[in-house]
Amino acid sequence: MAPIVGSGKFVMSLIINDDGKPREYNRMELADSDADSDKKVTQWKQSFHQIGLDVARTDRSLVYYENEANQAKLWDVLAIYTWVDDDIGYVQGMNDICSPMVILLEEEADAFWCFEHAIRRVRENFRSNATSMGVQSQLSILSQVMRVVDPKLHQHLEGLNGGEYFFAIRMLMVLFRREFSFVDALYLWEVMWAMEYNPNMFVHYASNGSNEVVVTTKLSKKMLQQYERKNMKNGRTYQKVFLLFSWLQVF
Amino acid sequence: MGDLNAKADYVFKVVLIGDSAVGKSQLLARFAKNEFNVDSKATIGVEFQTKSLLIDGKMVKAQIWDTAGQERYRAVTSAYYRGAVGAMLVYDMTKRQSFDHMTRWLEELRGHADKNIVIMLIGNKCDLETLRAVPVEDAKEFAEREKLYFMETSARESTNVETAFLTALTEIYGIVSKKTLSADGDSEKSASLKGTAILVDQDANSGAKGGGCCG
Repeated sequence: MAPIVGSGKFVMSLIINDDGKPREYNRMELADSDADSDKKVTQWKQSFHQIGLDVARTDRSLVYYENEANQAKLWDVLAIYTWVDDDIGYVQGMNDICSPMVILLEEEADAFWCFEHAIRRVRENFRSNATSMGVQSQLSILSQVMRVVDPKLHQHLEGLNGGEYFFAIRMLMVLFRREFSFVDALYLWEVMWAMEYNPNMFVHYASNGSNEVVVTTKLSKKMLQQYERKNMKNGRTYQKVFLLFSWLQVF
Repeated sequence: MGDLNAKADYVFKVVLIGDSAVGKSQLLARFAKNEFNVDSKATIGVEFQTKSLLIDGKMVKAQIWDTAGQERYRAVTSAYYRGAVGAMLVYDMTKRQSFDHMTRWLEELRGHADKNIVIMLIGNKCDLETLRAVPVEDAKEFAEREKLYFMETSARESTNVETAFLTALTEIYGIVSKKTLSADGDSEKSASLKGTAILVDQDANSGAKGGGCCG
């Protein structure tokens, strides 16, 4: 492990060049000649620069991050995550998801494992190949959902050349952290993760009008469409939102 | 400020590209809203701003796509370049590497965008003169060789930001209002976005294509 991890300091400058060679100026003394020959180590260290740039820009209006040791804690968690997940690694936006865990959990190790579990739900969004990113499949689902749930809005967006829903990339990738305040985003996460977007539970709950939660067999798209025709006329917003979640799971 | 309801004669899509943390979002915030945000965050994917302005008596709406700097996000970039008529190629003049990477950004831009796209090279953070790592001559030479416009700016101190965008937009206007921007008949898409009045000359036999974008 690089000596910088857990030191209360973090790397923001470039320590490894594009060619994989360590920079001459190596203040943090990261060059460990044996380990550096290892490609994984080199790639890992290359990610430090990006993580550092983003850590310095994460929630910096919060007093918590005025302390460099706290920024370093966020950096540590992201750097370790990059090592553990060598398939996807660090991608901009993960810092936004990680930040609340670092603030709320005092122990760095706890923050790491909490983040590691939370990111499992969304890490596919961050995966990229030469021509696309994981989040794009979510965007096309969103587009299909909107076409059904609010065709007028969808049409309007298409008219503006926004039918690809690129504006929603950020919402989906950092789970609305940038759209809402820090605290409101956490409320939303709590609700989302408690619900687990289960359409079965929701539809059943809604249809018999009681507080009883009964898990039925998986619903088909057709059943949801029927439900939608029956219930969407009165247009209660929260119902639309929940229905949207239900659709997301069925697709 | 971008007025969504303003009737635009032209809509120009412009992309902002360059390495992470060079100040792309700050340049845009300065141009579109005259703001400099002290707690600005990393851009996720792509974010948008519009600004309407008068050029030659016509209402031009600039629709600016501000992109994430991290290499990973380039997977989505072909979509960013589609229909773009202008590009702001931004580096941080205090970070040599961000300038060295301009070649890569330019290559990618030329690979994906319309070949007559107007490109402006921008050396941002010129208020940090004492930390300068990229001499003006290097940037000028690069810009001349690659036929790009070039300007040093400071989003923080509002230096040259408006001029940079205006220069690019005026040049785009000059090309689009005179001739079709694209030579391959795809001009309608690349010159203007759907849903707006389009004043592109569709003269079929226009042999010359828009006067070459860069002087």
